[in-house]
Amino acid sequence: MFTLPQKDFSAPTTCLGPACMQDLGSSHGDDLEGECSRKLDQKLPELPGVGDSAMFSPDTSYLSSRGRMIKWFWDSAEEGYRTYHMDEYDENKNPSGIINLGVSENKLCFDLLSWRLSQSDMQRVEPSLLQYADWRGHLFLREEVAKFLSFYCKSPAPLRPENECEKEAVCVIMCASVKYNIRGPALIPRMKTKHRIYYITLFSIVLLGLIATGMFQFWPHSIESSNDWNVEKRSVRDVPVVRLPADSPIPERGDLSCRMHTCFDVYRCGFNPKNKIKVYIYALKKYVDDFGVPVSNTISREYNELLTAISDSDYYTDDINRACLFVPSIDVLNQNTLRIKETAQALAQLSRWDRGTNHLLFNMLPGGPPDYNTALDVPRDSPRRYFLISSQVGLHPEYREDLEALQVKHGESVLVLDKCTNLSEGGLSIRKRCHKHQVFDYPQVLQEATFCVVLRGARLGQAILSDVLQAGCVPVVIADSYILPFSEVLDWKRASVVVPEEKMSDVYSILQSIPQRQIEEMQRQARWFWEAYFQSIKAIALATLQIINDRIYPYAAISYEEWNDPPAVKWGSVSNPLFLPLIPPQSQGFTAIVLTYDRVESLFRVITEVSKVPSLSKLLVVWNNQNKNPPEDSLWPKIRVPLKVVRTAENKLSNRFFPYDEIETEAVLAIDDDIIMLTSDELQFGYEVWREFPDRLVGYPGRLHLWDHEMNKWKYESEWTNEVSMVLTGAAFYHKYFNYLYTYKMPGDIKNWVDAHMNCEDIAMNFLVANVTGKAVIKVTPRKKFKCPECTAIDGLSLDQTHMVERSECINKFASVFGTMPLKVVEHRADPVLYKDDFPEKLKSFPNIGSL
Amino acid sequence: MQSWRRRKSLWLILSASWLLLVLLGGFSLLRLALPSRPRPGAPQGWPRWLDAELLQSFSQAGELPEDAASPQAPHGGSCNWGACFDTSKCRGDGLKVFVYPASGPISETHHRILASIEGSRFHTFSPAGACLLLLLSLDAQTGECSSMPLQWNRGRNHLVLRLHPAPCPKTFQLGQAMVAEASPTVDSFRPGFDVALPFLPEAHPLRGGAPGQLQQHSPQPGITLLALEEERGGWRTADTGSSACPWDARCEQDPGPGQTQRGETLPNATFCLISGHRPEAASRFLQALQVLAALQEMSPARVLALRQQTQFLWDAYFSSVEKVIHTTLEVIQDRIFGTSAHPSLLWNSPPGALLALSTFSTSPQDFPFYHLQQGSRPEGRFSALIWVGPPGQPPLKLIQAVAGSQHCAQILVLWSNERPLPSSWPETAMPLTVIDGHRKVSDRFFPYSTIRTDAILSLDARSSLSTSEVDFAFVVWQSFPERMVGFLTSSHFWDEAHGGWGYTAERTNEFSMVLTTAAFYHRYYHTLFTHSLPKALRTLADEAPTCVDVLMNFLVAAVTKLPPIKVPYGKQRQEAAPLASGGPGPRSKPQAAAPDCVNQIAAAFGHMPLLSSRLRLDPVLFKDPVSVQRKKYRSLEKP
Repeated sequence: MFTLPQKDFSAPTTCLGPACMQDLGSSHGDDLEGECSRKLDQKLPELPGVGDSAMFSPDTSYLSSRGRMIKWFWDSAEEGYRTYHMDEYDENKNPSGIINLGVSENKLCFDLLSWRLSQSDMQRVEPSLLQYADWRGHLFLREEVAKFLSFYCKSPAPLRPENECEKEAVCVIMCASVKYNIRGPALIPRMKTKHRIYYITLFSIVLLGLIATGMFQFWPHSIESSNDWNVEKRSVRDVPVVRLPADSPIPERGDLSCRMHTCFDVYRCGFNPKNKIKVYIYALKKYVDDFGVPVSNTISREYNELLTAISDSDYYTDDINRACLFVPSIDVLNQNTLRIKETAQALAQLSRWDRGTNHLLFNMLPGGPPDYNTALDVPRDSPRRYFLISSQVGLHPEYREDLEALQVKHGESVLVLDKCTNLSEGGLSIRKRCHKHQVFDYPQVLQEATFCVVLRGARLGQAILSDVLQAGCVPVVIADSYILPFSEVLDWKRASVVVPEEKMSDVYSILQSIPQRQIEEMQRQARWFWEAYFQSIKAIALATLQIINDRIYPYAAISYEEWNDPPAVKWGSVSNPLFLPLIPPQSQGFTAIVLTYDRVESLFRVITEVSKVPSLSKLLVVWNNQNKNPPEDSLWPKIRVPLKVVRTAENKLSNRFFPYDEIETEAVLAIDDDIIMLTSDELQFGYEVWREFPDRLVGYPGRLHLWDHEMNKWKYESEWTNEVSMVLTGAAFYHKYFNYLYTYKMPGDIKNWVDAHMNCEDIAMNFLVANVTGKAVIKVTPRKKFKCPECTAIDGLSLDQTHMVERSECINKFASVFGTMPLKVVEHRADPVLYKDDFPEKLKSFPNIGSL
Repeated sequence: MQSWRRRKSLWLILSASWLLLVLLGGFSLLRLALPSRPRPGAPQGWPRWLDAELLQSFSQAGELPEDAASPQAPHGGSCNWGACFDTSKCRGDGLKVFVYPASGPISETHHRILASIEGSRFHTFSPAGACLLLLLSLDAQTGECSSMPLQWNRGRNHLVLRLHPAPCPKTFQLGQAMVAEASPTVDSFRPGFDVALPFLPEAHPLRGGAPGQLQQHSPQPGITLLALEEERGGWRTADTGSSACPWDARCEQDPGPGQTQRGETLPNATFCLISGHRPEAASRFLQALQVLAALQEMSPARVLALRQQTQFLWDAYFSSVEKVIHTTLEVIQDRIFGTSAHPSLLWNSPPGALLALSTFSTSPQDFPFYHLQQGSRPEGRFSALIWVGPPGQPPLKLIQAVAGSQHCAQILVLWSNERPLPSSWPETAMPLTVIDGHRKVSDRFFPYSTIRTDAILSLDARSSLSTSEVDFAFVVWQSFPERMVGFLTSSHFWDEAHGGWGYTAERTNEFSMVLTTAAFYHRYYHTLFTHSLPKALRTLADEAPTCVDVLMNFLVAAVTKLPPIKVPYGKQRQEAAPLASGGPGPRSKPQAAAPDCVNQIAAAFGHMPLLSSRLRLDPVLFKDPVSVQRKKYRSLEKP
């Protein structure tokens, strides 16, 4: 497969010769960037024939042998290049806005690049992967380039350096070629001829050096990553011929009692990293018998497509020794055209056949020719005229009688079609169906029906199923013991109605009883199955390999939801990792984790306060200061529970959320070393609340995120609001699971961002928990004055505008990494049952709540 | 001279550039110049044929198979669902089961199982009206075997239930009867027709059943312990360290004995390996080590997900004999329903298919339990259902207060007393429907088709609520659509003195029930109340009206396994008493009825599902020292 390493994708010289350049702006969606690249685009057409052979006329005596060699390569691929230049800015051929600037060109390169760049995964680029932090290159270079272009290219208006956003290497190469090809002659006559020669030579050499540098930098990557360069282009007719003697061995018949664990050798898959099977495809051969008569068609279009899809996928390997699944290139898609015995002999002589162990054969039964597929890719949403339709031809008379009885009984809403007998054109009859004398277009007529019958025909497997799915019609399968395609992973109950053959006469009433909403869901599901797994040969091939992969690596298998839920459901849903509704026993207690740097006095006060909470079972101090040792053991406060000090290797905020082995309880209380104002009642009550909501963040100070309509972005809010969407982890209970998630499963570069900014670890935790559970936080107890960066006036950061701006930045950054805003806004907080009620204080379980 | 110097410097630059060129570009150029040989390592791929476009399709037009095969019966001797089960008798309201009465003396277990099926919603007394005839064949103790029943009819529409491996010889041919038995073998099992049961020990509880025992709900990386079932009931364990076998290579040496635990207790292992056949123990242990190595490649989060799923499955379908039987019947009912059977999600996520009735809906979004998985939300409106009991005063003030809520969609008045319906009702913008009830208390929880919203605000005519209270409670309910959100609470407690459960409506620091005289809950609970509770319990509620609250709370707690939610109620002091004294019904009724009904209901459920909560959900700024102008729910602040 042709893949550019992402790191280099922005480099234009990835292909043969510094010929192709892409529009950087469009690939990462930055408006500013997009705009400036566009300007360059618009200017370029004024340049005359870039890359004309003027520069390298055949008798360039100025070039050394090495230079000539390079030049030879430039000339070699010029044919495609010229064709391309007939219309460089063609809307159809070059929709991605790829600019061609080179001195030489290669059509293949251009096509591959344009194909690669228009893939969906090129829309997004991790900035860290880019070679330069500054996207537009260095300013001084841009200025130079702008000057150069303005002057030499006689730009109507001076170019603005900030608009020159290509990478340096490109600029220089481009300018050089621009100068030499176009404006060079105008400049040169001012000098003496011999100086001219020197200058030309000098420039040529500098230019060559630069080009060579470019090649050196980028070629190795492109060569390694694009095996397309090495893919041979050959004709199917040229494949080697293999003669099969009539007495060559015939393999045993298929063993019906085969199971995955008896007939498949999983040990062969042991070499395969990342839980991915490796598939080998045998080279294509042409098999002939003793008389030179071919055994079968060499290969069909579909099988070629299928093998190409496998070869392009991650499953493919060309190393037969590392493969765990083998796909013969002998085409057995249609067994009607096969000479069974000879094909079996051909299979048997494959180098790794071994009674067929670990071999995969694709056999698709003949159906209608698939040439109508393109005609109806989008089913209409218009109301469907027929409730039930049957469009199969060649049905058994018994079935047809049953169907016709249905039609008589239910009239207009049932349509039973058959082959047209009175049509003159034979070729078209395949696309026509008739009812009495009425002629219908097939398969378009399927779009008119809500339900489509898939009946037992000459063979169990039916091409009609594909047609039905594609038309967005719900299949009604009436064929006992028909194994629906991919039924191992696909839940056909969601997309079809299966009716036993015995109950065929009841079909109508069965279907009538399905509520409209369920019908709509089935239609959507059928459509999704079609699009995801049946639409193309490629989809079928990949789904097949995925199923085998799931069998071999069951612990890494794709889940039911991933196979069956349409993308819209997948996107909106969450699967809470702590999905069991349960209340952990109170006896387990919680572990308090105090993150500290060097405020020992305050830390000791926190420890003393927290140790008064009845349910505390352990105290863990995370000592984040590498330059200073924690106080001696004797100095620590004496408390009734075990106290452990963990020293960290680096002063990182993420250390607070590490899943330390010392945490034995499920509940964790994260508390800052300066939170001394929480009473024991409040902490104990917080733990009780957490027990009722063990999959949520349960914290004390609450915060809110708001959408700023003026700035069009998220804003952090710490005022007295009626809503909360976050709690600060300066004092919060949560499940230990989230430590694991924070440390190992935090998406994107959020962890690094937090450690680099030394801020927002709590916002990150709020995002993480809300995203994975889909649930809101619980704020406990009334608002208090907290000593926290944004609400006290002690350390100067107080209510500091910059702090709030930074927190807002965090929200925006995290929302973009998560691709959504997972935080949920709620209007409630948790208080003890009798809080502020007119009730004797001493009878209340948690009297000391909310006091300042 | 000058030109010479210039020339010299030029040459210098020239040669320097060449050097640069050779250094930097030489190799690349060389590579380019040489014909590129297929390099080892780089995959070659399937060739791109030049004439790929010219290849023919594998199937040609006109090749359609014209000859239709005759509809062969795919089933030779074995039955399948379509052929051997007659669904025509099951048309009405789902599965109706007739159980053959025992002939002769039966064991206690047999008796209780019979009683349990008879009490369930599936049961019918008439064999003619039944769609399934159930034959219990489980008397392992007495050695008595059931004889051929009267309505046998070659076993059509029969289910033979064998909870324990049958000691009976096959006295009669099973024919077309479905067989539900533990550990069936592949040879005799008819997929899609027979039902496989779990193997139940003799002492399995009849109802209720202990919940799962998973303690740690966190991923534990690095800890993988595998226990292998050994003969004579022992377990042999292996952990990460003892495994020297990579999963992808054949293991040839026993790395030494693992620990062997004898006795009944299960080892504290992450995985237990259960193998059906029992070959030589040593080789099995080697296989187990390979399994362990493979299992270690699973992510800890996935291991935890599997462990939790085992807990759910155990609790939903396996923990009692009654659950096993009901699950069997539910499986058969799903086959009868066909398209309106439980979707896979309902079977496989809490609360499970026994508690999520497919007769309510087949769309998971309609239930309160699956909004997260479906990415959906409960509707933003509610219906107020006001029950007007014996005093028979039209609740005008209450209607005004409820109609004032921005979330209210409709008001239904359930008129349930002797007095005639008033002719005029207050003018509100809300659609108001009056239903003439049948004087039965359990009617309050009937799934009226006129209720069109997900949320129901259940009210008693004598309740008194303010619009703010309604608004806030509804907003809270939207966050917890599967729970009940109420204003007034009561609790249950274990009464040591009487050796039973006690009930109190007094204000305490915790609560386990909310009164349904003013509570929000999902409309699904009406369906569940009416269609899934045993008839006996609903009769109990009708006879002792105070019990109806308790019963509803039991039901919701049994489904959610969570306590209800309490929200603030302003008039607590003044009007709590009439509300708390036991909901609808004459107030003079002695309160003593309540404790009894807690015990009776707990006995019928087989366990105590109620859970206590110690918190109340208040508005974020509730009674905070900040200007009342900032607060959204101001009227809740009034003392």
